[in-house]
Amino acid sequence: MNLQRLKVRATAALLFGAAIAPQSALGESISPGEWLDRMSAAVEKTSYEGTVLRVRDDTAEALKVVRSVSDGVVREKVIAQEGNGLEIIRIGNEVHCILPERKSVLVEEWNDQSTLFSSLPSSDIRFGSEYDVAVVREERIAGRKCVLLAIRPHDEFRYGHRIWLDKETGFPLQTKLIDESGNTIAQVKFADISLEQDILPDALAPSYDTASFTWLTEPRPARTQNVESEWQASEVPAGFRVVSVHGEEMPGNDGLVTHMLFSDGMATISVFVAKHSGSRVEGGSRMGSTNSYSVSTEEHVVTAVGQVPAVTVEAIARAMRRIQQ
Amino acid sequence: MNDKIRMQVSAFVDGELPDNESELLLRRMSQDDELRSLVGEYIEIGRVMRAEASVAGAEHLRDRLAAELADKPYKEHVEDVAAGRGSRWRPLAGAAVAASVAVVAILGLRQVSDGELDSTVRLADEVVDAVEDSAYTVPPSEDVLRQYVMSHGLEASEHGAVGINPRYVSLEFSDEMTENDAEDSATDDSSTAGD
Repeated sequence: MNLQRLKVRATAALLFGAAIAPQSALGESISPGEWLDRMSAAVEKTSYEGTVLRVRDDTAEALKVVRSVSDGVVREKVIAQEGNGLEIIRIGNEVHCILPERKSVLVEEWNDQSTLFSSLPSSDIRFGSEYDVAVVREERIAGRKCVLLAIRPHDEFRYGHRIWLDKETGFPLQTKLIDESGNTIAQVKFADISLEQDILPDALAPSYDTASFTWLTEPRPARTQNVESEWQASEVPAGFRVVSVHGEEMPGNDGLVTHMLFSDGMATISVFVAKHSGSRVEGGSRMGSTNSYSVSTEEHVVTAVGQVPAVTVEAIARAMRRIQQ
Repeated sequence: MNDKIRMQVSAFVDGELPDNESELLLRRMSQDDELRSLVGEYIEIGRVMRAEASVAGAEHLRDRLAAELADKPYKEHVEDVAAGRGSRWRPLAGAAVAASVAVVAILGLRQVSDGELDSTVRLADEVVDAVEDSAYTVPPSEDVLRQYVMSHGLEASEHGAVGINPRYVSLEFSDEMTENDAEDSATDDSSTAGD
């Protein structure tokens, strides 16, 4: 039934698209910034149900996603279609991660307003200095007509992005993270989607009877807000600046670890500064599309982590200096 | 090889061996094929137990280690050990992947994108020789990096970061943490029952 509705919608969108002016079909009458505005609004307000393919490191996984927004309350359900059957239920700020094989439920509190798939660029970003954005062409994703936005970095210190936006709603149907060589290093893509439909309560309910499951709470680590840092970067890649600093409790550290967040408006890099313990530390590693680099300096270990090229985390980690008091 | 050495290797793999002893062990590894093989085994056992391959290039590394560090097929040997594992292997699991990262650094192997190892990797003896000439370094443990990645994901999300997956990544890691918690809980329960 949903598929039929999707086909009807897709056909309607196609006919609608064919009926309007050709330049409009290419999105030429709508600026890239306006497309990003539409996207931000759509991501925040749209209810939908669909199947998402998440691809990274040559592996793909499918997730069934249902989302509804009603009276300002976001409800989401994400079900991994392979592997351990992880199921995530979100009602407002409370998130339940259901692990059926373990017969357990992990309860988390999300204090922010982000959603699982909403962390995308907005038109607030200052394009022109570190990135350019352009409408490239029209394509079809998940049976829907969409426009392809390309966000291209000006240097090798950040990744590029490709975003396919539903032409009718501005909702992102596919995103790709592009490395400095033009290779796709991560992507998320809807294989099918029904937008703006009424989501029935049952669709957001857990698939399992969790009454007999073990319920676990993962407390957020203690942290201080906006501390004055003893650390600063002597030189960082253009455009990056510190947007937050706080102390954070981390396992294995007696004191608080200083956590500084750098951002260029799109990419973010966290720098963690922990008191030195044990061996000297130096080197980089990679988890999915996230790179990290650590150095030992001034009796501390500095680790930079971010979804940016390896050269960027290394540059920032090496640039950190303790301010002389 | 005596139990003391085995315990040292175990502590080294867990990242719990003091600096001075680690240095001595590393020097000894440069001279002792069997010792290097044992370190590789301990690391691999942990990975097999966790069914984890989160270290990019680890599969390739295993083969290279097999060629460099042991006479027999490495995987086959590890499976033999893992199949007969008992509770004494369990403490190794937690830091196994971290330790494999450490050995990557120690042997001078560099992880690169797409899980491929750099073609310019330096292996085994010649690198260990180089290690002897300078202070060695190791990356932070995998557990620490996971914490950092999770924390980064949370912080980046709260600042409207780009990156489609930070939330999901943190949830995946939460999944692993919960599984560990569940194991710990089960162990605690059985201990209590035994009492």
